[in-house]
Amino acid sequence: MVSKLTHLQVELLEALLESGLTKETLIKALSEAEPYGLQSESQRAINALQAEKGEPCPDIPNLPNGMGESRLSEDETSDDGEEFTPPIMKELENLSPEEAAHQKAVVERLLQEDPWRVAKMVKSYLQQHNIPQREVVDTTGLNQSHLSQHLNKGTPMKTQKRAALYTWYVRKQREVAQQFTHAGQGILTDEPMGDDLPTKKGRRNRFKWGPASQQILFQAYERQKNPSKEEREALVEECNRAECIQRGVSPSQAQGLGSNLVTEVRVYNWFANRRKEEAFRHKLAMDTFSGPQPTSAPPLTPHNPSSLQPPPALSPSKVHGVRYNQQPTSEAESSSSNHPGNSSMVTTQTILHQVSPPGLEPSQNLLSTDTKLVSAAGGTLPPVSTLTALHSLEQSPHALSQQTQNLIMASLPGVMAIGAGESPSLAPAFTNTGASTLVIGLASTQPQSVPVINSMGSSLTTLQPVQFSQQLHPSYQQPLMQQVQSHINQSPFMATMAQIQNPHALYGPKSEVTQYTHTGLLPQTMVITDTANLSALTNLTPTKQAFTPDSETHTESGMHTPVSQAPTIHLQNQDTTIQHLQPGPRLTSSPAVSSSSLVLYQSSDSTNSHSQLLPSTHNVIETFISTQMASSTQ
Amino acid sequence: AGKAHRLSTEEREQLLPNLRAVGWNEVEGRDAIFKEFHFKDFNRAFGFMTRVALQAEKLDHHPEWFNVYNKVHITLSTHDCGGLSEQDINLASFIEQVAASLS
Repeated sequence: MVSKLTHLQVELLEALLESGLTKETLIKALSEAEPYGLQSESQRAINALQAEKGEPCPDIPNLPNGMGESRLSEDETSDDGEEFTPPIMKELENLSPEEAAHQKAVVERLLQEDPWRVAKMVKSYLQQHNIPQREVVDTTGLNQSHLSQHLNKGTPMKTQKRAALYTWYVRKQREVAQQFTHAGQGILTDEPMGDDLPTKKGRRNRFKWGPASQQILFQAYERQKNPSKEEREALVEECNRAECIQRGVSPSQAQGLGSNLVTEVRVYNWFANRRKEEAFRHKLAMDTFSGPQPTSAPPLTPHNPSSLQPPPALSPSKVHGVRYNQQPTSEAESSSSNHPGNSSMVTTQTILHQVSPPGLEPSQNLLSTDTKLVSAAGGTLPPVSTLTALHSLEQSPHALSQQTQNLIMASLPGVMAIGAGESPSLAPAFTNTGASTLVIGLASTQPQSVPVINSMGSSLTTLQPVQFSQQLHPSYQQPLMQQVQSHINQSPFMATMAQIQNPHALYGPKSEVTQYTHTGLLPQTMVITDTANLSALTNLTPTKQAFTPDSETHTESGMHTPVSQAPTIHLQNQDTTIQHLQPGPRLTSSPAVSSSSLVLYQSSDSTNSHSQLLPSTHNVIETFISTQMASSTQ
Repeated sequence: AGKAHRLSTEEREQLLPNLRAVGWNEVEGRDAIFKEFHFKDFNRAFGFMTRVALQAEKLDHHPEWFNVYNKVHITLSTHDCGGLSEQDINLASFIEQVAASLS
């Protein structure tokens, strides 16, 4: 076992032990008398002590021979001149009894927490790092369906199994942290290779596009459908940077993305697939045009492809939002309040993709186009990956239908064009305005309306993984001032607070509060140094400053960030966010304080206590979102 | 306390040869014994000193010593009696034991 003490420290320790000091006495003395914040050091000392003195302790006092010496010489030859490094950087630290005990303690704490909240945390972590469920299933032995239901809907899971899940979660966080810290140095350790513990087949996880990257790509697609290699490479950089930021990691550590690292080939394929998709949608549009009567004029057809590329559902939704702006926002509120869980998903998805389409002149066209597509009953499945993914989405009726429904709900507060009785959860919220049949099609919980799906196409695909908290909503809906206000009132924070108070009530409609909590296992070296991105975090600046001093004392251990004031601040942030963002997704630059505040939240332990859980994550999310918005304006 | 008597001649004849044999020498001009220790490096040297220091505290009898990197010069004498005493002998023995384990 290798300890990370200097030779002198080892010597002194041995001297202490030889003087008759027992290990227990030493450890007790260290834990009791811990002045000057020596906690981490003393723990490392204990660690080293245990590493050094495991067995030969009793022999030490009578040690005239070279027993201790041989160990010493080992240390010396191997560690000569080596500096002490923090535990997180050392793979073997994980094997030390202290680290294992620490992990167990964290798992214990998680088990005490409300399972639903922890599930949300784990789920958001999976989303944040784009980890496939399969990986969790492989390493924990849990049933995938059960796991999915537990994470998405809060289906109860027995304590032992939850312990396995949380253990995986804790270990994965450490692994990912190591992965990122070693990214710049090349992969030094075997464990975190490929975002995957040694799988049975020893292969890496399948690449998956993150929401951040997709947003960037869609914007680029609007500009030009066929980018050159240089442009693709630029996009690669941009996407990797965004993905790193999403994970709360410095963009220079992009290699830590592992299997989800964006490459030019992947970007090339993405564009190729989008072009294929578009062509297919065009084909469908032609079919439907010549088929059953559409509700709009033919000339709109040509607009379809281009305008559909950015998530069309959102475009019409945005349109609707404009048109029906006058509609009582109370409707939105009531609908939102009825489905606190749903609205969170809605808003987030809405927001994300409203960013994408910069211009929406052909809004009418979009609407009618979608309508046309919807009314077409026929249509074969296009062989495009996104659509396939959509169908897999659709298979989980709860997830998708709610998502889509929520999507429409939030973005179309006035347009509640759902057929009555189609979905019980929507019935109260929606009124039939006879508007877009698109809506109707989506409202249906039956996964058979293919054209509808097509029209949603990439939007849903991209929407699916994206489940930001509702905070995003106000910031993105520029023309929807009233909507914004209503959503503010509905306050994601409050909604989620409601959820927290009634977690079990949400086993049906679920809330997807994204909690991209940056875990405390991330070493300090992972502070984002790219203040350009941080400049977007204007909102956070004034309020987060309060936290910085507190966080500093805790950053060392990386735990227990005091976030009790977060709720208030969060709301303030929202307001400021909205004010900033109403005129457009432009964010003023902020001083470097925001970077320190980011540090704060990156250091925050993922196992925050109940009261801290949401606020911290909200702030983190805002951070993330703001960054997203900034990047989108780039 | 009781050990602070200056060693009589007989006691010296009995005890000092062992120490002389391992390298302790009597200092000229004072009633003390002296030895130089060499270690591989500073770490070893200071580890040695630490052990000796801990023992010295325990015995309440402290050496005069000098250290430069891997060398330690130790002079043992008892201030209370103005010369060698049993305490010096005991500490010297302990020092030998420690030095042996470290080198």
